[in-house]
Amino acid sequence: MVSNELVLGALLALNVVLYASLVFAALRLRRRKFSASSLSDAFKGLELALKEAVPDLPSGFTWEEAVARLRSSGVHTEPMEGALKSYEAYLYGGAPLPDVDYREVVNVANMIGGMPQGKRGGGASIGR
Amino acid sequence: MEALALGAEIRDRVLSEVGKVVVGRERETDLILTCLLARGHVLLEGVPGVSKTLVANAFSKCLGLQFRRVQFTPDILPLDIIGGFIFNLKDREFEFRKGPVFTNILLADEINRAPPKVQSALLESMQEFQVTVEGRTEKLPSPFMVIATQNPMEFEGVYPLLEGQLDRFMVKVSFGYPTPEVEAGILKRNLSSMDLNDVKVVVTAAELDAMVREVDSVTVSDDILAYLARMADATRSESSLVLGASPRAMVQLLHCARARALLRGRGYVTPDDVKTIASEVLTHRLTVDRAAALKGVSRNPEGVLTAILDRVEPPR
Repeated sequence: MVSNELVLGALLALNVVLYASLVFAALRLRRRKFSASSLSDAFKGLELALKEAVPDLPSGFTWEEAVARLRSSGVHTEPMEGALKSYEAYLYGGAPLPDVDYREVVNVANMIGGMPQGKRGGGASIGR
Repeated sequence: MEALALGAEIRDRVLSEVGKVVVGRERETDLILTCLLARGHVLLEGVPGVSKTLVANAFSKCLGLQFRRVQFTPDILPLDIIGGFIFNLKDREFEFRKGPVFTNILLADEINRAPPKVQSALLESMQEFQVTVEGRTEKLPSPFMVIATQNPMEFEGVYPLLEGQLDRFMVKVSFGYPTPEVEAGILKRNLSSMDLNDVKVVVTAAELDAMVREVDSVTVSDDILAYLARMADATRSESSLVLGASPRAMVQLLHCARARALLRGRGYVTPDDVKTIASEVLTHRLTVDRAAALKGVSRNPEGVLTAILDRVEPPR
């Protein structure tokens, strides 16, 4: 015959496991993958993802510093560096917005955790 | 060759040539080259024996520029720097004899050992690229750059440069002790004889002239200008500073950022160009409040400036 204490203990343990998995799932849901419709959006999304994923990154960070930080954390930034160069030429050099592949920028943003829920960067949107 | 590509190539050539005789001073050489293109003057600060003079010498040699070195001492006179009128017994008239300032690169060694009168004698040449003696004005050769050195550890028998004089120097480059790896490289380099004659001229006068003019065509967006303005405002409203960045300092930072962009083969300035070089351009013009220093704020304005730069958001 199983004692009441044992049943109570088992139920309690089950509760803890259930609630822990619920909290874990809720935390995971807070970050969702985002997609971007332009190079500009991709970098806006990456900026938001960076601010969320690297809280000690100072607000005055530059792209070069951010890339160096990502690289030191083991993120392969080489594939997105070409897109960054084109984006900077557009942003600071007055060049037209280039038609370059920005998927790598989106990939890096998603790799570091995507955008926090409820935040939107330009035309970047949260995907499912 | 396209001007932008030439800018990056000149930088590579100079760093590599200076690197033949100086180990581990790429950053410092790069800053001096940036300053030359931006038509500024450099103050090198460091203890004796950290290759300040060697860098200056090798740098001017690889550019094929005329180089003169003046050792500043307490008994030096303005005449010894800028020149003056000397009576010519043969022609029985006074003639102007040019001083060592009539050169492309003037190394003012241990500038803080000379009295303020001599330091001030350099001001006109640094600011207006000309010398006036008894109403006669003489233009200096172009390019003209003063590379001054000073030892920060000396307190006796020195005349510290005043704020107004410091402001004339576009950048202040600190020469620290080398890292153990670089030190090993220096020792290895000195196993064989080292001769400045090994340094070859790697940039022609025409290339250098073209680069100096090309700096003016580097694009600076309105966003970058606004970033610079926010940065200036932040230094002026910082409570731990009694003296923030002057408008002249910000203009010089802008010129330096343009030259830096050109030397990286870019026709536009990025926030990195501004932020990377801001410390060398601004630190020697900032004064930390003594009361703040007593409350634990670093006496060194570099720490205060770093905190400001980390706070001011660049355009992204």
